[in-house]
Amino acid sequence: MQILKNKTNIDFIGKRKPAIFISTVINLIILVGIAVWGFNLGVDFAGGTVVEVKFDHSINAADVRKRAESGGLHDVSVQSIGSADENSFLLRLGGVTQLTEESSAKAREAIQALGPVKNVVTDLANGIINFRSEQPMSAEQVRKAVEGSGTGVEEVRELGQAQAGGFDYQVVASGMADRIRSALMSGVEQQDKPDFEMRRTEYVGPQVGKQLRNRAVMALLYAMVAILIYVAFRFDFKFGPGALLAMLHDVVMVAGFYLFSRAEFSLTAIAALLTIVGYSVNDTIVIYDRIREDMGKFKGKPLAEVINIAINDTLVRTILTSGTTALSLVGLLIFGVGEIRDFAWAMLVGILVGTYSSVYIASPLTIWLDERAAAREARQKGGGMQPTTPG
Amino acid sequence: MDRGWYWRLGLVIGVTLLTVWFLIPSYYSMFVLDKSERNNLALLEERLPKWAPPAKYRINLGLDLQGGIHMVMRVDTNTALQKRTERRGDQIARYINDKQLGQVSVDTDPQALQLTLTAQDPATMDAIEKEVLATFTDFVRVGRDGAKLTLAPDEGQVNRFREESVDQAMLVIRRRIDKWGVAEVDVRKLGTDAIQISLPGRNDPEQAKELVGTTAQLEFRMVDDTTDFFGQVIQQNPPPEGSNITLTNTEGFPQLQGPDREALLAYFKDKTPENREVLLECVPSATKKGVCDSYRTFLVEKEVPLTGESLTGADASLSQLNEPEVNVSFDAAGAREFEQLTEKGTGRRMAIVLDDYVQSAPRINERIGGGRARITMGRAGGRPLQEWLSDAQTLALALKAGALPAPVTTGEIRQVGASLGDELIRKGSLAAALGVLCVIAFMAFYYKGAGIIADVALLLNGLLILGGLALFNATLTLPGLAGFVLTLGVAVDANVLINERIREELGHGKTARAAVDQGYDRAFWTIFDAHVTALIAGFILFFTGTGPIRGFATTLIIGLLASLFTSILVTRVMMTYFVHGRNAQTVSV
Repeated sequence: MQILKNKTNIDFIGKRKPAIFISTVINLIILVGIAVWGFNLGVDFAGGTVVEVKFDHSINAADVRKRAESGGLHDVSVQSIGSADENSFLLRLGGVTQLTEESSAKAREAIQALGPVKNVVTDLANGIINFRSEQPMSAEQVRKAVEGSGTGVEEVRELGQAQAGGFDYQVVASGMADRIRSALMSGVEQQDKPDFEMRRTEYVGPQVGKQLRNRAVMALLYAMVAILIYVAFRFDFKFGPGALLAMLHDVVMVAGFYLFSRAEFSLTAIAALLTIVGYSVNDTIVIYDRIREDMGKFKGKPLAEVINIAINDTLVRTILTSGTTALSLVGLLIFGVGEIRDFAWAMLVGILVGTYSSVYIASPLTIWLDERAAAREARQKGGGMQPTTPG
Repeated sequence: MDRGWYWRLGLVIGVTLLTVWFLIPSYYSMFVLDKSERNNLALLEERLPKWAPPAKYRINLGLDLQGGIHMVMRVDTNTALQKRTERRGDQIARYINDKQLGQVSVDTDPQALQLTLTAQDPATMDAIEKEVLATFTDFVRVGRDGAKLTLAPDEGQVNRFREESVDQAMLVIRRRIDKWGVAEVDVRKLGTDAIQISLPGRNDPEQAKELVGTTAQLEFRMVDDTTDFFGQVIQQNPPPEGSNITLTNTEGFPQLQGPDREALLAYFKDKTPENREVLLECVPSATKKGVCDSYRTFLVEKEVPLTGESLTGADASLSQLNEPEVNVSFDAAGAREFEQLTEKGTGRRMAIVLDDYVQSAPRINERIGGGRARITMGRAGGRPLQEWLSDAQTLALALKAGALPAPVTTGEIRQVGASLGDELIRKGSLAAALGVLCVIAFMAFYYKGAGIIADVALLLNGLLILGGLALFNATLTLPGLAGFVLTLGVAVDANVLINERIREELGHGKTARAAVDQGYDRAFWTIFDAHVTALIAGFILFFTGTGPIRGFATTLIIGLLASLFTSILVTRVMMTYFVHGRNAQTVSV
C-alpha cells in the first residue's frame, strides 16, 4: 500500500512568504497573549494547594463549591475531573498555609492578648509567626490563642530564652489541605465519617515554584543551544539558524496551546515543550539530511529547487512519521487523565506544527541565508559596485 | 550469510536474553509479591530465584503511580543562625566580663546578623577588640565607631553552619521516619537548604508534616545501673520466639539487643519499674547510612533534669591523648543544673537522649562545674581512630540538632492516594498499550513483511526500555509512561525512514538485496542525527529537571538508545535473513 501513488511535485518553497507571514502573526499573538493574560499556572509554578477529592455519592461541582463556601473557603476553584459518574474534583487554592495577611493580623492580636509581647514578625510565605514574649508561656496556651483567632496551628515551637531578654516562640500555621478538609466536612452529619476521600494533595511553596520555573526556562535554553551547536557541527552553519527558528516557532506554538486551551501549565507542560524541541529538530534534520544529499546529486540547480525536490521526496515519510507518532498518542488522548491528557494534546499540536515548520520555516530560512551569502560574495567580487567607506 | 551477520544475530539474541533476565525482579515485585509488600526489598530478595539479578535491579513505581507522599522540607537556617549569633553575643559579653576587660553591652541585629558591643569606657575598647577578635575567631570586624564595635560572623563559618544545620535536620528526619517504620524511605538533600523525602504508601500529608517538621528534643537523663534489670527480665520472661532478643554485654553493662524496635519495646511493656523507662540506642548499619541494624536497651530515670534548651554548643575534637572527645557547653542555668547532677551522680552514667533515642551514655567521672563538659569517647575495641572520630562528630551533630535547632518548614508536599495510584497505573498502561497496538497494526498493514519486522523490533524496543529502567533502578512515573509511548512513536520513525528508502531504491530498479543494503546505509546517518538531537534534549532534561521530569527524561534517554539499537541492528538482521539468506528476489515492503 502507498499513501501517494505518484511522486509529488508540490511547490512548497514558492508559498514560503505567505506561510512565514501567517506563522509570524500567530507567534506574535501568542507571545503578546502570554505577556498579557499569562498561562494558567499550576501549583508547580504559582505555588498553592491542589486537592483531588472523590465523593462516594453523586454530586456536582456547584454543590462542592457551595459546601466549601459554607465551610468558610471563598477563593477556592472547583473543577470536575474524569467522567461525571466518577464524582472527582480538583480543588485549588492560592494559599499554601492558613496564614494570610488578614488571619495573621488576628493571630497577632490574640498573641498580644496573652501578655506583654514584643517583636511579632510574620512570615507569610512560610506560614510562620515569630514573637518574643517577656514572660514564659506554654506552647498549649499559644496554640489555643492562635487557633481561637481562626488559624489552624501545626506546631508551636519554644525557641528558648533570648539573650536580649524575653522568650522566643514560633508558631507554624497548618496547611491548606487541612482547611479544605474541614471546610468540606461542614454539614457532614457524622464527623468521623466523611463522604469523600482526599485522593491527592499537592502543595508547593512560592519559593519552590519560582525555583522550578527558573530551572525549567534554563533547561529549555540549554537544550536549544546544545542542539544548535550539534546542527552547526554536523551540517553547515547555514542550516543552524533555520533549525533553531523552527524549534522556537514550535515551542511558541505549543505554548500557545497551553495559553488558549487554559490547560494547566505545570512541570508536565515543560516536559511537553522540551519533547517538542526534540521532535521538531528531529523532523527538521531528516529533511536537512535529504537536502544535503540532493545538493550533491543536483549540482548547479538553485538551492530553492533542490529543497523543493528534497521536501517532496521525503513527503511520504514526513506524513507517515507524524501519523504514527500521533497514532501512538491515541491511547493517551482517550485514557489519559488531567495533565497527561493535556500533555497528549500538546504533543499532537507539536507534531503538526513541527512537521509544518520543518517545511515552511527551517528550509526557507536556509535559502534566505544562502541568498544573502551569495549576494555578499557577489558584492565582494564586484568590488566597485559599492562605495567602500574609508577606514 | 556472512560471519558479520552471525555476530550481529548473536548480539541481538544476547541483549534480548539479558533484558528479559533483568526484568525478573521487576516481574516478581509487581506480580508475584503482595501489593503491600511491593517495596519490601528484603522479602523480594528472598523470593527471587537464585539465578535472578539482585532485588535492587527493579523498576520502582513513582509515588504518583503507587501512592505515597513526596515532600520537600526547607531548613530555616536563618532563624538558627540568628539564635546562634545571639548566643555567641552572650558568650562574648561573659568572656569580657570574666577577663575583666571592661563593661560592655551587647546588641544583636538579627536581620543583619550583626553584634554591636558598646563599651562604657571608650578607652577599654581597643583592648576588648583585640582580645575578642583573637578569641572568637568565627567573627570578623564590620566597623568600629569609637566605643562601638560591630561584629559579624565570618562568611565561611556562616556557610559551614548552614550546611551543618541541614545535616542535623536530615539526621533528625531520618530517625523520626525510622521510628514510624516506613520501608524504602528516601531522604536526600535538595539544593543547599532543602531536604527531599519520599514515603511510598503513606497517605496522610498532615501527619507526615507533623512527624518530620517538629524540632528535635534533646534530654539528659540518668541511667539506672543499680540493678541487673535486663538480666532478670530475660530470665523471668523469655522473649517470644523469633524476636531475636538477646542479652549482651557492652563495657560491663548488661543490655538486651534486638533487630526489631517495635518488638523490643513491646517486650518491656508492663515490665518496667515505676519512674523508669526503657530507651533504645541505634546500632547503625555498616553499609547503609541512616539505618539501624539493631537496637540496644537502656534503663533510664523518667525524670528529665536537663534539656537541650540549656545547651549552647557541641564540638568534636581530638584530646591531647589523641582520643576523640565531644566538648559541650551550657548556659548559666544549665551549668548550675549540670554541676549538681554530676556531683550527685559521680560514677553513674548519664544518657544523652535525642528524640527518645539514646545517643551516648558517658560515665560521669567527677563533678563538672563551669558549664563545660567533655565526653571522652575512649578507644576500646581496637577500632580505627577515624571511626571513633566520626562517632564523636555524629554525637556532636546530634547534640547540636537538639540544642540549636534549625526549624524546618514545608516547601512542597505531593500526596497521591493508593487507590488513585492504582487507577493511574491501569489507565496509563491501557493508554500505552492502545497507542502501541495502533502503531503495530498500521505498520503491518502499510509495509506488510517489512512492517511486521518493524513491529517485532518495536516490541523488543518496549522490552529494552523496561529492562533499561530496571538496570538503572529507575522510577517509572506517569509522565514516564507518556515518554514510553512517545519513544515508541519515534522508534517507528526510524523504520519508516528505512522502509521508504528501500521502496525508493526498488523504484529505481535495484535488486532486492541492493535496495535493502542501500536503504539501511543511506538512512543510517539520518537516523543517527535525529536520535542524537533528541538525546541532547533528553540529557538536558535529565540534568536540569527534578521529580517527574527526571522520570520522563530517563525513559526518553533509555528509549532513544533502545530505538537506535533496534532500528539499526535488529531490523537489519531480520531483513538480511529474509532477503539475503533466502535469496529472495523481492522484498515485502
